[in-house]
Order: sequence, then structure tokens, then C-alpha cells
Amino acid sequence: MSDSEKFAKTAHLLLEIASLLMVSGANTSRIQRSINRFAAALNFTVHTWIHQKTIIMTLTDESSKVSDTRVFNLPPHAINFKTISEISKASWKAQREDWDIDKITTEIERIKSLDKYPNIVVLIAVSFAVAGFCNIFKGDYLNMTVAFVSAFTGLCVSQQVHKRHYNLYVRIFLASLTASLVASLGIVFDIGANPQTALATSILFLIPGVPLINSFTDLLENNILNGLARFAVGLMIVLAIATGLFLAMSIFSINRV
Amino acid sequence: MTEILLHLLEVSFWSGIAAVGFGILFNVPKQTILSIFILGFLAGLIKFSILHHGHHIALASLAAASFVGWASIPIAHKIHHPPVVFSIPTMIPMIPGYFAYETILSLMNFVFVETDPEKRLLLIDAMFSHGFKMIYVLIGLTFGVALPLLVMNKGSIKQLR
Repeated sequence: MSDSEKFAKTAHLLLEIASLLMVSGANTSRIQRSINRFAAALNFTVHTWIHQKTIIMTLTDESSKVSDTRVFNLPPHAINFKTISEISKASWKAQREDWDIDKITTEIERIKSLDKYPNIVVLIAVSFAVAGFCNIFKGDYLNMTVAFVSAFTGLCVSQQVHKRHYNLYVRIFLASLTASLVASLGIVFDIGANPQTALATSILFLIPGVPLINSFTDLLENNILNGLARFAVGLMIVLAIATGLFLAMSIFSINRV
Repeated sequence: MTEILLHLLEVSFWSGIAAVGFGILFNVPKQTILSIFILGFLAGLIKFSILHHGHHIALASLAAASFVGWASIPIAHKIHHPPVVFSIPTMIPMIPGYFAYETILSLMNFVFVETDPEKRLLLIDAMFSHGFKMIYVLIGLTFGVALPLLVMNKGSIKQLR
């Protein structure tokens, strides 16, 4: 393998790792630290500018002092903590055991092929989470059942829309509308002691927890632009949720959650 | 007293369940699920006990998140996964999602529905109080969970032994 081929391969690999971490929901400083560890193993120095849809990276080969800057466009975000965990572990091992480029490439390919939980498991787990929220907000077990069913149908819609590659905010809006329409039936038929709670919590499975937490983590670590970008994503998602809820409440003329 | 305690335990149990549900949505590794449940349960217990004594929700969230931050050091070393993998799902039930969409709902009522000036004033009040409560709770959560790293002046939990 010639030097320029090796350089191109390394550049692509490091950009791909950074991209994988970003779309899986890692915060900016974590991505930078992981990339630096991989780069150290490969005897490279990297400087990166990471953003929501683009990564710019300047790489310097420490042995030949050849340097180059690359721009990489990111695929759509899909939170996946298994990827973050596995890449983090691989980065420590790579640095400690001085992995070469082929070993890192194989490991990244393995991480990319790791399986996710089946859709039905996710559906049931998230619906239970929403039922839990309903309990936290003082709902009784009938309200929790309503919340469970609403979240289940809402997430079903979300998964189906996701398969058709719709815009993220359209998907969130449709899921929120479905979940709150189902939960509104609980108010119309007066199910349980506190039917409003079921409506208020039925949409909480859509809340942008990861963007909002990462937003403030980035702001705290002075990655201001990324922090603001993530906060804007979070706000857009909240806006989509509230619009769906508002529409459902107007349809059933419910005044207050 | 026992009734209050039982209620606290029930609510904390469901916080743990909610944390696990979100963990599965985020595709966490299977080995972390038990830690997520226990951390979610204990964080819920701390948060709701503090709320029960009439303190502000931002303070309660800060305390619960600091607990998660400190507890994640030994857990991360024990199960060999980076702390974000189990600390973020644990904090999801504490995310002020309700305040977030309540802010937007008040805004939408203000813009599209309400015409009575007095009720419009109440809606402005609701927008500000819910909106800034959301921001303070989020600051409490992120600051709390990052506290060990800030105190020890380190970038990664792996460097803390």
C-alpha cells in the first residue's frame, strides 16, 4: 500500500468513526477524545470541526508530515448507545495495544453490523416507560393503561413513518397527534381518576432528551455552536410535539391538559 | 408516614421502568439494563424525596443527577461501558419534557385562541415560568452528571481510579 493510499484510507476511517459517533448521539468532546485516541494509535494528529451535518478534519501523518483537510457529510441521526459504547472501548484498546489500520477497520465494520432490539421489544418497553411517566404524574392504573395504549399506537405510527424516510419533524408531529388523539378518548369517556394525566404523559416518549442533554453538555464544555444547534433541534421537536397535541385538543375541544 | 414512603417507592419504581424503556429505545447494551434500572430507581427516590420536602424541582434534579454522576464512576469500571450509556437513559425521566411542551402550548393558546386580556397575561406568565424552569432543570441535570469530571478536572471517567 503506497503512502497516499494509506493516508486516504486513514482519513476515511477517522471521518467515518467521527460520523458514526455523531449520528449515534455522542456529545462533541467525547467524539473529539475518541478520535484523538484512534489517531494516536495510527500515529496521526487530527484537528476537527464537528457539526450536525458536516465534519471537517485536518489530518497530519506524524511520520511523513503530510497533511490534508477533508469534509464529510453525515447521514441522518439515529441514536444508538451500543455504537458509542463499543467505539469508546475500541478506542482505548487501539491506543493501548497499538492497533494498525486494518484491525481498526475490521472492528468498526463489526460495530456497524451489531444488531438492534427488535421493533416489538422497543414498542413494549417504551409504552411501559410512558405508563411509568403517567404514574409519576399521579395517574392511577386505569390512566396508565390509557397512556400505555396511546404511546403504543403513537410509536407504531412513528416506526412506520420512519420506514418511509419522512422528515423528522413530520414524523414527530404525526406520532404526537396519534398518541394524543388516542389519549383524548380517555378524557371523552372519562376513564380513570385523572384522565388529563394520561393525555399529558402519552406524548412524553417523543421528548428530545438526548439532544437537550447533549446541548447543555456541549455548552458547558464551550462547544457553543454545536450546543446551540442541538438546542434548536430539541426546540423544533418540542414544537412538533406541541403542535400535534394542540391539534388533538382542538379536535376534541379539550381546554387544559 | 408508611403511606408516603410506599408512594415514594412506587413512583421511584416507575421512574426506573421509564429509564429502562428509554434505554431500550436508544439501543443500550444488554449488560447495562440492570444498572439503568437501579440508578433510575435511586435517582427517582432522591428527586421525589426532595420534592416532597417542598424544594424546587431544579434543586431536586441537580441532586439526583449528581448522585448519578458519582455513582456512574464505580459502575463504569465494573461493567466496562462508558458512563453516558447508562447515565443519559437514567436522566430521561427527569427531562423537563412536560415543561417544554407546556411552554409551547401556552404560546399557541396566546397566539391562536385566547382573547381575554387577563387570561392572556396568565399565559405569558405560564410561558416564562415553564420555559425557564425547563432551562434550569436541564442545567441542573447536565451540571450534576458532569460534576465528578469537573471536580476532578478530567475529561473521561476512565482516567478516574
